[in-house]
Amino acid sequence: MILLSIQEMTKRFGGLVALNELNINVKEKSIHSIIGPNGAGKTTFFNCLTGFYRPEEGEVMFNGQSIVGLSPDRIVHKGISRTYQNIRLFPNLTALENVMVGYHVHLKSGFFGPILGLKKTRMEEEKARQIAFDLLKYVKMEGKEDTLAKNFPYGEQRRLEMARALASQPKLLLLDEPTAGMNPKETQDMMDFIQHMRGELGITIILIEHQMRVVMNISDIVTVFDYGKMIAEGLPEEIKNNKTVIEAYLGTGEAAEAH
Amino acid sequence: MTKAQSLWNQGVKIGAIGGVSVLIISLIGMVESFGKRDIIAGVLPMGVAIALIISILAAYMAAKKTPISDKSIQFANAVVSGLVISGFLAAFVMIGRSFNIREMLVGASPVLYSILTGGVAGAGGIFLLLLTGLLCGAFAGILYMLRDLPRRLTVNALLTIFILGLLQELILPILKAWDVGMINYLAGLFYTLNGLTPVGAILSVVIFCILYLLWNANQGAIKSKYAALPKEARKKSQIAALIVLAVILIVLPQFLGLFLSEVITIVGLYVLLGLGLNIVVGYAGLLDLGYVAFFAIGSYVVALLTSPQIFAFGLNFWQALPIAVICGILAGVMLGIPVLKMRGDYLAIATLGFGEIIRILVLSDFLRPWLGGAQGIGSIPNPNLFGFQMVKPQHIYYLLLAGIILVIFISLRLKKSKIGRAWMAMREDEDVAQAMGINLVATKLLAFATGAGFSALSGAIFASKIGSVYPHSFNVFISINVVCIVIIGGIGSLPGIVVGAAVLMGLPELLREFAEYRMFVYGVALVIVMLLRPEGLLPEARHKMEFHDETEAGAKTVA
Repeated sequence: MILLSIQEMTKRFGGLVALNELNINVKEKSIHSIIGPNGAGKTTFFNCLTGFYRPEEGEVMFNGQSIVGLSPDRIVHKGISRTYQNIRLFPNLTALENVMVGYHVHLKSGFFGPILGLKKTRMEEEKARQIAFDLLKYVKMEGKEDTLAKNFPYGEQRRLEMARALASQPKLLLLDEPTAGMNPKETQDMMDFIQHMRGELGITIILIEHQMRVVMNISDIVTVFDYGKMIAEGLPEEIKNNKTVIEAYLGTGEAAEAH
Repeated sequence: MTKAQSLWNQGVKIGAIGGVSVLIISLIGMVESFGKRDIIAGVLPMGVAIALIISILAAYMAAKKTPISDKSIQFANAVVSGLVISGFLAAFVMIGRSFNIREMLVGASPVLYSILTGGVAGAGGIFLLLLTGLLCGAFAGILYMLRDLPRRLTVNALLTIFILGLLQELILPILKAWDVGMINYLAGLFYTLNGLTPVGAILSVVIFCILYLLWNANQGAIKSKYAALPKEARKKSQIAALIVLAVILIVLPQFLGLFLSEVITIVGLYVLLGLGLNIVVGYAGLLDLGYVAFFAIGSYVVALLTSPQIFAFGLNFWQALPIAVICGILAGVMLGIPVLKMRGDYLAIATLGFGEIIRILVLSDFLRPWLGGAQGIGSIPNPNLFGFQMVKPQHIYYLLLAGIILVIFISLRLKKSKIGRAWMAMREDEDVAQAMGINLVATKLLAFATGAGFSALSGAIFASKIGSVYPHSFNVFISINVVCIVIIGGIGSLPGIVVGAAVLMGLPELLREFAEYRMFVYGVALVIVMLLRPEGLLPEARHKMEFHDETEAGAKTVA
């Protein structure tokens, strides 16, 4: 089943066409990779999906509803969540608070609930804490709930950001270079983790990635961008051998490395 | 540059900084006007005490910054910087006596020269001044070489004298209020009408030293005993401490005279304002410099509804209070809407303008028939609680206390809720907060509205306390005071705000001489706090945590 369907999506910045008539379909519970050289429009693509940019033309259907023009906070409610290329945690909040902010969309209490200490609010809050605890455990960070986010080492910050994104219980998770700056061991762990997530939580994942080893190993399908245009799409094996991709993006040297 | 020269560099440099500082506070008249009040009666005027503190501090820094750890050089450096400071002053006195510089520098008066030279005329005075500088330097040098405990003891003992002398107007009336023979005798032993008695100063040093040494010897044992207590017992002792605090707060006005009660209500009003601004600045990270506007709105609503002048609605205070708070909240939302998209500096400027707009509107002739213009609105009745007229400041104190407790309660509850987290997330990173599903518009407006409501509450109490409102009561300095309270007390920390309000609003009331230099002192205090203690005087636990965590986190590795 198609979870996300993008038709003829175009985004311009003044005269620059950042995304040019994209047509992409993302299947439910798949790991869909987006690759392309720097400046190809990958992160812009994410920003359009999450509502930070509004595409000038085209349609984005998510779970059968159009999400074009919705504000970022509305889109999270629909079930899309993301992480950032350069980690963007709430640095002076604790790990637990970071994850609990991620759970915000499921909290219904208003202004007076917490002031009056209503039972409903207290129970809801307790549930949020429990979910945050569980998620931190899921990303192997139990026992570090009260540490400020900025004091974590790089790898743990990445995982904390992942936990925060999962807290909104999304149907679709957008990961922007989750393995950037990681050593081979950490990269392998992250790959396992992403596959687990898809398997255990049944989440659909769109992945921007530069490390070809990761892309080729875990993707179900790969889309290649260049200058805001989709130049190829297919199974990892097909992309690996696609002439256009090799010429436009991988280059001969890197193509050899990718094999 | 030779090595010998560089050794003395710090002494001369820091001495020059200290000299200029003392010169500045002398020239703006602080030494002279503070000279009228004595720390120790007949021995040490406050102005001189401040000059001495700066000199000793500078000389101490000079010893500390000496590039090599040779004790004699460090000592010599301290002496050099002390001499440089007094040299600056001596040169100033000599120039001032030979030429007329008063036309340019109003503060350069003969009285100042006389204070600086210890009242001795001619060359003898200059010599005395230089000798004092030398002694300050030598004292600082010795202080630097002392071991840790004696040094702390000396510094704290001297500070005790200074603070006891400074707070005379706080302590003396409280002692006298008892009017018991024994306490009257004690008060007479320690205090004259102008500063501590020399005997009192010596006695307080002795008492302080004994207490300090006792605490120092037993501190470890007490702390470990407390830590060894089971969790429940610790909780019990915390509750007991809270009860003691509550009792003190409730009986406090009985021991404060009229003047001190007046001071404490002013502090209370600013605590309320600070708590409200803390929501906006501390939690939500929106720098609001027009905060006085809501204070004014709260005041004017109460004035219009309860005063027989202008409209004569004839409401009582309790009926007007909720309306004032609601008007404040609405005004908060109205300010919030146009500045929704602004961040940081731009927001500060826009809100600053809003604060001024409200004041100027109230002042305008156009609105005079409704708001009273520059004459303001008078004869606002006092609050009446079940037939009891709250006339005295002591009565208003309880009203404020109730308000503060309510606001602290709401702040704490909100902070730990979904809304508090949304505010803090927005403060940390607005875009990401939105990407987490937080509705920025609603969250921001809620922060503005909550803060404005608290401010209006403070304003309402202010109006009924004073009995009249004037546009001039609501100038931009109130906003600045409140921002200073929040920053110096510790952003986001509720106890910090209480301490900040007490220090920044209470002290200047107790030291009337300060009034003129209030903004100067705030500026200096802000700079010092930002340099030495950027987290504020009494920071939130979270900020303390930052320092602990860094060392722990450094050891952690990626799994």
